[in-house]
Amino acid sequence: MKPRTVSISQRGFDFETSMWLFTRLSALLMYLFALIGMVGALIMGARTQMNLADVLRWTFMPNPSHVLNTNVPDLAPWSTVFWKVMGSLFVFFATSHGLHGLLSVLEDYISRVWLRKSLRILVVLVTLLISVIGIYMILTS
Amino acid sequence: MQITIKIFRYNPEKDKKPRYESYKLEAVETDRVLDLLEKVKGYQDGTLSFRRSCAHGICGSDAMRINGFNRLACKTLVRDTGAKITVEPILGLKVIKDLIVDMEPFFENFRSVIPYFVNDEPEPAQERLQSPEQRERFDDTTKCILCACCTTSCPSFWANEQYLGPAAIVNAHRFIFDSRDRAAAERLKILNDIFGIHRCHTIFNCTLACPREIQVTKAIGEVKKAIVTGSLE
Repeated sequence: MKPRTVSISQRGFDFETSMWLFTRLSALLMYLFALIGMVGALIMGARTQMNLADVLRWTFMPNPSHVLNTNVPDLAPWSTVFWKVMGSLFVFFATSHGLHGLLSVLEDYISRVWLRKSLRILVVLVTLLISVIGIYMILTS
Repeated sequence: MQITIKIFRYNPEKDKKPRYESYKLEAVETDRVLDLLEKVKGYQDGTLSFRRSCAHGICGSDAMRINGFNRLACKTLVRDTGAKITVEPILGLKVIKDLIVDMEPFFENFRSVIPYFVNDEPEPAQERLQSPEQRERFDDTTKCILCACCTTSCPSFWANEQYLGPAAIVNAHRFIFDSRDRAAAERLKILNDIFGIHRCHTIFNCTLACPREIQVTKAIGEVKKAIVTGSLE
């Protein structure tokens, strides 16, 4: 007996579903990025050259300016495009993941339409601002 | 043993706002909260209003908040509640009187998910056959008695009664995964809505509240998976 399936055109796959899926996948991706960051820190010599706070700083924001005060002798090789892209992607996924979470809270708990719409715009603007500042900082440092 | 039962009271024709009234009565450990309510109504205060019908956990009429938890009064024993009991109407639906709430928004949501068998294909000579495994696939969600314990324990429903709620999704699940049914796509489309399944934030209150012990959150998860993958297996 062939498996029962419903095609996308039949079942629909609207914005709600896309954002729901994106939020879950972005959370998984952030775990992956953090893992890559931590492996990077270990290759950098974290076991002997860094304390825990420095390791975590690099794990979640792999930017040489964040580990300047460590005993890693040479940070120049770690200021590469790869780590800048990693950091930027982390910021993008973290803020957009959080944005969808906040929008869900607004949808659930703000019943006045004008207030919900205003807060929705405010949250999107603040998120964009944080993302732009974060990515600008990563790319220029 | 002596029991003190504190009951939420509200008569819109007399009361400006709801109040609580306490009643003392004798009971044994195997009495049910429904028995206590019957005793209060029969011997102490005939104005007390509550729904009940079968009194055996099947009709789902007497869902109420007992000591803060959504329960069926006919399935909750004094042994499990202790000597001090607080009884309130279920949350998220408008109180009509005392423990009676307006169930219409709940049933409206239920009706919107096409909660019945749909198959327009020509009828076979005998019945539409199904293997034991295919029947097992949706067995858990056939147990729903529409008492609303799950939906009215859900914070997303408290926040917005337009959210379909766990009970509606459970009843959609019952037919979506039925191999004989042909309206799964329509139901998934309905659940895709802004007030549909994605309002569920996996809080698990529904699973804890269900008096039939349906794995409600698991069923909702299976429907979410079907929406994303399209698989009805």
